[in-house]
Amino acid sequence: MTGYEVHELMTCRVAAEVDGEGVVVMGSFTPLAYAAYMLAKLTHARDAYLVGFDAVGMAPVRLSFTGTEAAAYKGAVGRWGMLTEINSIHLSNHGGVEAVSSAQFDGSGAINLSAIGDFERPKVRLPGGAGAAEVIKMYRRMVAYFGSHTPRTLVDRVAFTTGTRWMVGDAARTAHHLQPGPIVVVTNLAVLVKDEDDRPFRIESLHPGVDAGTVVENTGFALEVPDTIPTTAEPTAEQLRLLREEIDPSGTVRFDFVPARERLDYLRSILDAEWARAEASLQPALAARA
Amino acid sequence: MAGKVAPLEAVGDLVADGDVVALGGAWFANHPMAAVRQLLRSGRRDLHAMTVVGSIDVDLLAGAGSLAHLSFSMVTLEAFGLAPNMRRGIEGGTLGFTEYTGLGLLIGLEAQGRGVPYLPYRGPFGSDIPARYPDIYSSVHCPFSGEELTAVRAIAPDVAIVHATRCDAEGNAQWDGTSGPDVEMAKAARRVIVTCEEVVSREEIVARAHHTKVPGYYVTAVVEAPFGAHPTSHVPLYPQDAWELMDYAAAAGGDGLRAYVDRLRAEDEPGYRARVLGGDRARVLRALADEAQLVETAT
Repeated sequence: MTGYEVHELMTCRVAAEVDGEGVVVMGSFTPLAYAAYMLAKLTHARDAYLVGFDAVGMAPVRLSFTGTEAAAYKGAVGRWGMLTEINSIHLSNHGGVEAVSSAQFDGSGAINLSAIGDFERPKVRLPGGAGAAEVIKMYRRMVAYFGSHTPRTLVDRVAFTTGTRWMVGDAARTAHHLQPGPIVVVTNLAVLVKDEDDRPFRIESLHPGVDAGTVVENTGFALEVPDTIPTTAEPTAEQLRLLREEIDPSGTVRFDFVPARERLDYLRSILDAEWARAEASLQPALAARA
Repeated sequence: MAGKVAPLEAVGDLVADGDVVALGGAWFANHPMAAVRQLLRSGRRDLHAMTVVGSIDVDLLAGAGSLAHLSFSMVTLEAFGLAPNMRRGIEGGTLGFTEYTGLGLLIGLEAQGRGVPYLPYRGPFGSDIPARYPDIYSSVHCPFSGEELTAVRAIAPDVAIVHATRCDAEGNAQWDGTSGPDVEMAKAARRVIVTCEEVVSREEIVARAHHTKVPGYYVTAVVEAPFGAHPTSHVPLYPQDAWELMDYAAAAGGDGLRAYVDRLRAEDEPGYRARVLGGDRARVLRALADEAQLVETAT
C-alpha cells in the first residue's frame, strides 16, 4: 500500500489495540484517538463499547471540530455525568483502552502533562492531566501516541509525574487489583511495547523506511532492540477509505501533524468548510419559508 | 415566574469576593459562560475558581484579574492552544493554583455531597500530585483487608454555578446533553446557581422527569440565560462556537485581551448575544448541532 500519511498509519495502529473487551472513554476531542476508536468499531471491533463526553454506548460518528460532541449523543444508549457512570468505568476495572499523548513520557510509563521546570513556578505550565493520573494505571491497555518521536518528548525521566502506569508486569498488576496488560507507544517512527517492570521498552515494529538506529537515537530512554524487527502494518485500502470518506473527511487528525506556522490557516480552512456545510443545510428551510 | 427565579445580575450578589466558586461543564462543553461574563461585569475579585476540565471559562476570569486562585485537573483551549492566561498567571507567580487529579477532585466533591469528611479510592499511585497537597490527599488502610487506599478530603465550594437545559422556579434542573461534573458540584456547594437555556413550568419538568439531575432542594437561584454556555457548547441545542473561541485565543494570546474583557464588561447579556450571535451565527450553530453525523447515516 502506498499513498498514505504517517498519521493514518498511526491511527490504524492505535485502532488495532481496541477489541470488544471493556469500555473506551473519550474526553477532550483528541482527533487521532477518536478516529482510531471509530475505525476499530467499524472494522475488527464492532462490539467495542464507546463513551464520548457523557454519551454512553455511542455509535461511530463523523469527526469535526464543531459536530463531534452533538453526534456522540445521537447514537448513544445512555446519558450520564462524570461521577454517575464514567468514574465507575474507570475505578472498577471496566476500562479497555486508554490512549494518551503528553508533553513528556519516560521509560517507566510516566507522563508529564503538568509542568516543565519548577512545579510551583514553571517555565511552561501545561494543561494538567484530567483523569489520566488515575486512568492510565487502571485500564487494561495504555496506549501513548506521539506525532513527533524526539528525545525532548520521549525522555529519560519526566520532569514531573502527572500520572504513571505504576505496575507494568501482569503478575504485579493482578496482585494490585489492576487488569493485566501492556503499555504500547505509537509514534511517527515506530511502535514500542513494555510489559514487564524490570525490562525496558522494546521496539515492536518499525514503520516502513525507518531503521532501528534512528529510533534509538531519538528516544531518551533505553530500548531493547531485537535482532529482527518487523515492519508496522500499513493501512489497508478499506481502512484508508473509512478514514478519509466516512470518519474524518475534513482532516481533523492531520491538524495535529501540520507544522506550527501552518496550523491556524489549516484550522480556519476546516472550520470554513464546517460553516459552509451547515449553511447549505439551512437552504431548504429558507427556501420553504420564502 | 416566582420562586427562585432571579435576573442574571443576581450572580454578582450571590458570589462574594474571595469565594470558592465551582464552575460546571467540562472540555469545551457546557461551561456557565453567561454567569462568568456577569462575574466580570459585577467586578467580583480574588475568587478561587474550581473546574474539573476548564477552558475559556477560567482562562477568561484569570485574564480579567478576577482570580486569586485556580483549582483544576485540566485547563486547555484544545485545538486553539494552551490556556494563555492560566499559563501567564502561574508562570508569572501571580495566580495561586492547586492541581488535582481528575477523579480525586470529583471524589472530593462527592464526599462533601455525602456529608463525609473524606472518601477512599484506589488512587493515582505513583503520581507526584498527592504529595504536593497533604491537606487534600492522604492514605488510609481498608479496615477489612488492610489494603492501602488514597483518601481525598471533602471539598466544599462556597458557590457552584452550573448551566442546565431547562429549570423550573423551584430549581428542578434538567440536562439533555453533557452535564460533566455539574451534579457533584451542585451537591457539594453551600449555594447553587442554576443558569439555564429556558425557565419552564413545573408541568414541563414533570413531562421529562427522567432528565432531572439536580433537584430543587439544592438550588439557591435560577437564572434564565439563553445561549448561556456560549461560546462553549450546550448540546443538543448548539455546539462550541469555534469562531468565537478562535477570536478569544487570538486576543488572549496576543495584546487584545484588555479590549476583549472591556467590551464584555461594557455590554449586558442581551447586548453580547446581539453582537456575537447576530447575523447567521446562531442559526449556523444550531444547524451544526442538528446536522452532526453518525457514520452509518453519513452519505
